[in-house]
Amino acid sequence: MLNTPTQNSRPDQTLSRNMTLLAHHELGGFGGMGEGIGMQKTADGRRILWLAHESGPKNFTVVDVTDPKNPQMILQTDLNNTQLRSNSLDVCGNLMVVAYQSKVLGDKDVGFDIFDITVPEQPKLLSHFDCSGPYSRGVHAVWFVDGKYVHMSSGAGDFQPKNQKDDQFYRIIDVSDPTKPVEAGRWWYPGTRVGDAEPEPKRLPGIFDTGFRAHNTNVFPSHPDRAYIGYIDGGAFVLDISDKSNIKVVSKWNHSPPLNGFIHTVLPLFDRGLWVVSDECVKDNGADWPKLIWMLDSRDESNPVPIGTFPMPSIEAFGKRGGRYGAHNLHENYPSPVSFQSDTIIIGTFFNGGVRVFDTSNPYRVEEIAYYVPGAPRLCPAGAIQLNEVFVDDRNLVYTTDRFGGGLYILEMNI
Amino acid sequence: MTFKRDVLASKIPVTIITGFLGAGKTTLVSKLIKHPDMNRVAVVINELGEIGIDNDLVTMSSENISLLSNGCICCSVRTDMQETMRELFAKRMVGEIPEFDRIIIETTGLADPAPILQTLLSDALFEAQFRLDGLVTLVDGFNGIHQIEQQMETCKQIAVADLILITKSDLLDTATKEALQTAVRELNPKAPMLFILNGEIEPKQLVNLGLSSSKSVEKTLGFLGSLLESKEDTGESYLGDFANRHNQGIKTVSLRFQNPFTWEAASAALELLTNLRGPDMLRVKGIMNIDGKPVVIQGVQHIFHPPVTLDAWPTDDHDTRMVFITKNIEATLIKSLFNAVGAITQTPKSSNLSA
Repeated sequence: MLNTPTQNSRPDQTLSRNMTLLAHHELGGFGGMGEGIGMQKTADGRRILWLAHESGPKNFTVVDVTDPKNPQMILQTDLNNTQLRSNSLDVCGNLMVVAYQSKVLGDKDVGFDIFDITVPEQPKLLSHFDCSGPYSRGVHAVWFVDGKYVHMSSGAGDFQPKNQKDDQFYRIIDVSDPTKPVEAGRWWYPGTRVGDAEPEPKRLPGIFDTGFRAHNTNVFPSHPDRAYIGYIDGGAFVLDISDKSNIKVVSKWNHSPPLNGFIHTVLPLFDRGLWVVSDECVKDNGADWPKLIWMLDSRDESNPVPIGTFPMPSIEAFGKRGGRYGAHNLHENYPSPVSFQSDTIIIGTFFNGGVRVFDTSNPYRVEEIAYYVPGAPRLCPAGAIQLNEVFVDDRNLVYTTDRFGGGLYILEMNI
Repeated sequence: MTFKRDVLASKIPVTIITGFLGAGKTTLVSKLIKHPDMNRVAVVINELGEIGIDNDLVTMSSENISLLSNGCICCSVRTDMQETMRELFAKRMVGEIPEFDRIIIETTGLADPAPILQTLLSDALFEAQFRLDGLVTLVDGFNGIHQIEQQMETCKQIAVADLILITKSDLLDTATKEALQTAVRELNPKAPMLFILNGEIEPKQLVNLGLSSSKSVEKTLGFLGSLLESKEDTGESYLGDFANRHNQGIKTVSLRFQNPFTWEAASAALELLTNLRGPDMLRVKGIMNIDGKPVVIQGVQHIFHPPVTLDAWPTDDHDTRMVFITKNIEATLIKSLFNAVGAITQTPKSSNLSA
């Protein structure tokens, strides 16, 4: 990793260690990708990657990656509302759920769509779940792994936050009949809703006040009673969702204050009694540094203990490379046969720091074992790559996307 | 959910080029470092001054490390090889020098390659972060036969090589060529041999001579050479009447054992051999059946690479097969040593170890 700004920190240069680029696809010139990557295996054995766009005009793009060296774009759809962004989607079997969030409150189109994608070239809309409301911007992130529930961070028609930044909370939607989605449960940070007895939570200072909102809301079929929530400035939560009408907090942890907030993902490593928690960097040029990946000992639900942070290049090396530098998304061991599963190898994206692979066999001394930092994509507004999201398949191939225009990078790990 | 790391895949491969004084190493290296396919390759040489690189220089990262216009990183040895390798590794890691994915080292003419290999293989950092990808020996086409007859170093360099390059091929008539080939083959029966001219060679011919992954694929055993394909012991390779006259007692011995070893027996046997006859055990390569698992071993004189357990047997042949390049050690002696150790370590109920 780089520790000093050197000629190697010129953003046009590709940096790599133990990773090989197999293919780069600019997705027809619409290569600005969000936080949703899902993989489908079709009946005829093809592997199809579903990618949500970071913002309009495109909705989602579908790429055949059966031959990873020759990805073929087979479909790209449009958003008809210029205020909308998809940003997040998940694929479970032959169903795909895609989120819609708006820039404006009260937008009628927000919520999520469920598609039957048995024929990937012709997704069939099964239903739309409406999340509109006077104080709602809609759905930010969805998690759909069991074919039955969509877990998401979303606003709602009947939810009024005390502070508008706190408009998205944790909602569970029953889609066992995908044509008739219905809410099964919800949880929000106590004090954020108008009508709560608790006071509004104390906000982080100045530019770091992003919000007390849900971001990633992950539930694993192996442990269906637990929801792992990154609640942005609210910190990390683990909820008991065995009774969806009465969701309880079983664990919580926050590093902010004094740090700069935005806890994004809580990834449990069940057999090891660990959590991997990622922050999200949301400011350019290192303004909200440090934004890290954390390792916590989670064996005592009532007392999660941070035992270390993942090694990363220094802020001096990447902070001024262009755009954002810091942690964001992880490969979340998505519970599907086509997803890479490991409780020691963790892969994450770091905006201009590229995609990095870690060996956490020793959780007290996590080791970086591979990375790939693409050179700045053509016409990129940040001046450097901004790798946003990552998914690793069961062939150990890494799919990672650029936030602004670089599109899809497919990589092999030599580990 | 536990991911099994490929211990070799993430190590930086190192190729060592050796050869007698005047064999043509400087010529070869001068051309090599300017080759367009040398991007992300670091080349370690004795002196920058020997190689004319000024026109191709992009930057000097430090007084002894330079980036050339083709992406090749040129590094001269300052104190010693061990220091230099550590420096290269550390500086690459922190970004002080540009990235490289492999290293090619060129040693001085009189160097017996074994001590250099031993130094590198016994360095903890090297062992953790590098792997020996291959030994390439240059043989002076014009003076080769004479050097083989007179110089132990030349014989050793040829015997331990994974690839032999015969230089100055334009100066050789057919008879000389054939005599030289025969002499080289006596010392090293199976390493590929190429005739080169004016030091011209493709970088890809020099690399991937060794085991690069612990994942078992068809070509895994390629690096051990085809000696291992026959079903019998080949014992000493057939040397004919030239055996001891020209090649200073160097012989290649290949052995096959049908019964598996235990770790205890395998390591005891190899230790015994190296303790008693280390300097004469020029090179050892093989695949051993240890408790049923395929384990690749490699060694140079006293020093062995850490053994690599493959994830599966490359073929249906699960026998232990080893190639020894030795000075004056008979095949039967090695074989009986392994058999004796095997016999003495076996527990009463296990099958007999026999050749």
